Order: sequence, then C-alpha cells, then structure tokens
Amino acid sequence: MPIITLQELKKVFRLKQKAPGLRGSFRALLRPEYQTVEAVKGISLEMEQGELLAFIGPNGAGKSTTIKMLTGILYPSSGEASVLGYIPWQQRRELSYHIGSIFGQKPQLWYHLPPIDTFELFAHLYELEPSAFRQRRDFLVEAFSLEELLHVPVRKLSLGQRMRCEVAASLLHRPRILFLDEPTIGLDVVAKQKLREAIKLLHEQEKLTIFLTSHDVGDVEALCRRVIVINHGQVIFDDTTSALKRRFLHKKIISVRFGQPVPEDFSVKNATLLKRGEWGVKIELDTRVRPVDNLIQAIMNYAPVMDINVEDPPMEDVIREIYAVEETIHLKEPVR
Amino acid sequence: MQRLNKELRFIGHLIKLGLAGLMEYRASFLMQAVGMFINNGVYLVFWMLFFDRFKDVKGYQLEQIFLLFGFVALGFGIAYTFAGNAGRLAEFIAQGRLDYYLTLPRPVLPHVLFSRMGSFSVGDLTFGLMMYFFVGKFDLLSPILYLVCAVLAAVIFVSFSVITGCLAFYFGNASFVHMQLQNTMITFSLYPIGLFQGTIRLILFTLIPAAFVGAVPVEIVQTRSPELLLGMIGVAIFSVLLMTFVFQVGLRRYESGSALHVNL
Repeated sequence: MPIITLQELKKVFRLKQKAPGLRGSFRALLRPEYQTVEAVKGISLEMEQGELLAFIGPNGAGKSTTIKMLTGILYPSSGEASVLGYIPWQQRRELSYHIGSIFGQKPQLWYHLPPIDTFELFAHLYELEPSAFRQRRDFLVEAFSLEELLHVPVRKLSLGQRMRCEVAASLLHRPRILFLDEPTIGLDVVAKQKLREAIKLLHEQEKLTIFLTSHDVGDVEALCRRVIVINHGQVIFDDTTSALKRRFLHKKIISVRFGQPVPEDFSVKNATLLKRGEWGVKIELDTRVRPVDNLIQAIMNYAPVMDINVEDPPMEDVIREIYAVEETIHLKEPVR
Repeated sequence: MQRLNKELRFIGHLIKLGLAGLMEYRASFLMQAVGMFINNGVYLVFWMLFFDRFKDVKGYQLEQIFLLFGFVALGFGIAYTFAGNAGRLAEFIAQGRLDYYLTLPRPVLPHVLFSRMGSFSVGDLTFGLMMYFFVGKFDLLSPILYLVCAVLAAVIFVSFSVITGCLAFYFGNASFVHMQLQNTMITFSLYPIGLFQGTIRLILFTLIPAAFVGAVPVEIVQTRSPELLLGMIGVAIFSVLLMTFVFQVGLRRYESGSALHVNL
C-alpha cells in the first residue's frame, strides 16, 4: 500500500514582472504587472514504504516546491496529496511526528551551540522519553560517527560534519519517511561518501523511506533504486535507477595525466578527445560503444599514466538528454 | 491544559538555549547591553535638562517621564529579550525562513519568536528595572503592578511587531516598513499622551497602540485603577488573538524561498 500518493498536484506562483533598469523599476512601482508561473504542473505519483526514491531535475524544475508541499510547508494550488494518510498542509503538525526533513541550504542546528544542544531541543520538541532519547542519540552518534563533534559549536564544524549532524538530528524521533533536499550540496567527495553510507545504513536497519532530491548523480546511484525526473513541473521519467543508467548514463568523462608529455601519435578510437594538453587529455566515452576498461587499457599502452579520473557527466546533461528523448518520442505518460 | 503546559515547557527550553547562545559571545553581549543602557540614559538627561526650565508637559513632570521611560524600556526589553525574533519576522517570511519551523510539531509562531534572545534589549530590560528604583514606591503592591503592566506592555509590543511583520506575507520584502512601524511605536510611546489629540490620539490607542505600552501603564500605577488594569489586560489578550489570527491567515500565502540561511 503506498504511503505517499500525489494526484495532479499543482502549485502556481504569481511573480511580479519588472523591465530592466531604473525606469523599469519605477514603472513596476506605479503599474505592477504579474506573471503566473506554474512551478508544479499536476504531478501524480505513488511511493511504497521502504522505497529509496530520487526525485531529480534541473534548477527550477519544481523539486523543492513538491517536497515543500509534501512536508506541509506550502499549500498547493490544486490537486491532492497524502503522506502516511495525512494531508500535509492540513495536518502538518500530526505528520511532522512521522517524517524528517533536511533542506541542505537551510540548517536546523543552532549555529552558535554544539549539536548536542539541538539534539536535546529536538527531544523536547518531539516529546521523547529521556531514556529512549539517550538510546537513540547514542545509536545515531555511532551510525554517523559524531563522537568528536557533539560538543563542538556548530559554527566550528566543517560543512560535511554539520550535514552528518543535521541528518542525525532529523532522525532522532524515528521518522518513517526522510525527505532530503540536496543533502550533499557543497560537500567534498569524502564527506558525501560518509553521509551516503550513514543514510544507507539507516535505510537498511530501519526500512526508512527516503525521498531524495539532488543534483549529484553519485547520490542517486549510491542511494536510490527508483528515479523520477521532473522538468518544467512535470514528471518526464519514472523508472529504476538501473534503467536510468542503462538508458541515459552511458557517457563518461575520462581525464588522464601522463608521466611524460602526451605522445604525438596519441588518438582514441570510438571516443571523443575533448581536450589535449601537454601532459594530459580529456576524453568523452560512450560506454555503449566501448567499455571503460578497454579504453583505459588502450591509453596505458601509449605512456605511463600518473593519474586517471572517470566522471559521470553533470546531471544537467543527463536531464537534457532525457528531456530531448521525451520530446522526441512525445511521451504522453512518463516511462515506467 | 496539559498541551499548554507542554508548550510552555518547550518555550522555557528555547529560552534556556537562547541564553546559552548569548553566553557564547559574552563580550559582544555585554557591549550591546551596556550600549543600549547608555543610549537610554542620554535620552533621560535631555528630559532632565528640559524640566530644569519647564514645570511640566501636559501634566507630566520628571517623575512621570521617568516612569514612562521605565515602562517602555522594561516592556520593550522583556519583549525583545525573550521573543528575540519578533523584530525579524518580516525578514523571515520574505526569505523563506519559516520552512524549518513548519516541518516541526510545534506551533509555528511561538517557536519562531522564542528561538532567539535579543542581546541589545537586555540593556533596556535592566534600564527599565532600574528606573523603578528612582521613581517607584516600595509598598507590597506597587512593584507587582509595575511588573504586571510591563509584561502586558511586552505582550503588546510583540503582538504589534508580529502583525506588522505579517505584511511580508502580502508585500514580500516588508522588512523596512516593519522596522519603521516598530520605531514609530517606540517613538510615540516615549512622549506624554496629552501631547496628542484627535486622530493621532485615536491612532495611538488603536492602529499603533503606543499608548498601551507607556501612558496607560503610568496611569494605572499612579491611579491604581482596577478598571484601567482590566482594560489593559483585555487589550493584551485581544492583541495576542489578533496576532495569532493575522499570522495564521498570512501563513496560507507563505511562499518559502531558496535563500541560504543560518538559524540563530
């Protein structure tokens, strides 16, 4: 039975329009003009208990607006939604006991105080029994490796450390669903990895349902089994992560630094040489045409390799490709 | 009743945390508090010089001015020390900073208001208390009456600030108007009410209730009128109800935002 159901959920914002320059400002002051923007254009979806869902799309696609309606922050313009049987914007308070949320750009920890103080505040906030709170806190401290951080003022923590504390704080009351809006934004590779591992552990141990938005393909690959892509407020793709990878994540960017100047006869077959420097090259590879290991082997035959980096293309590129396909085949319904 | 008790305990915890936050920066806290204390003192010196030359202003002598100052400073001090976010509500709404509070299971308005303690207003609070030692009476009832009136004034200060801050739900960036209206309230409350007649006087008892945070408490303490005290309690209750209503209605128009934030 689905625990999240959305039916034709819409959100319309009225935006004030202004022509450029001072003249435009005066005109807008005297005769304001408004434009209606449909941030979310009738999204319908269902989500089961224990699912790990990535809800992705380019900037302005309507991801955060959807999450905000699902957590009761925003009222929709029309449509219906049910989260754990509650209508979020009408039963926000009842729902909040059962969900946790992290907005990567909006911290919830008290900035000048150590995380332990916010944890205790949350224990009061969610009316947790002292012994249950202590037990849960200790578990999360271990799961997120927070022993060293608990008593350090938040302002002195690194962004990665802070985010681990943020996620732990949002799990203190044992929510059934965790909404994560860009949880890894601004984190370095190691911090991202630590955070993903901790979230994954919590999912495995507690069957936590996760609704994730991210611009990082790594988050989606590491955490989620299902992906929904939205663009311009509409669902344009809804399938498994492996299907997404199979269909769209087939390009890799490979950066190579040689131990000597790039050989003059260096060339790559069935791949595109994006950049050629004195000591290194950048190559785009379509893995459907040629496997990564095969290309790397060929590169290593040219000269000793000092460093090699294989990256996914930016999420924006992936989305653009999905959107292009969606427009080409004129999908009326999202692919499932 | 049990619910109310829980909410009050939670607010108590927020205040404790706010105080701990202030203590993190002791030097800055002390400088701001002392600075505000001196600022108030300078204003009083002006009045002392004034009353050196004139006998009274519309029935107010130096004693009443001291009392008026005491009430406004103590009311303002209590309001903005404990409900430290009251003066920043318009900014919170315009920048989408209510998101955090909306995802948590507590009434949004008290949670926002008490999530920060104002350091500068501690100076006002201390100043307001100190004024009583200059002009107050030291029988059993007078100090209690002084404190009760100051608390009621604080409630009215916070309510006015919230109601005007809610303009941001309708006009977007209303931070400047919010600040100006708060300043207007303080400015008018610091003068003898007899100076204002007609429409302005009506405004000071209704739209900008400056009379209720200064002149009316002075009248209550001096006349010990139970009717006046009951009237002021009624105004405080009404202002809390109005503040709650305006905020709840405005919240339906809340549009959130994508600004980067830090919660204090």
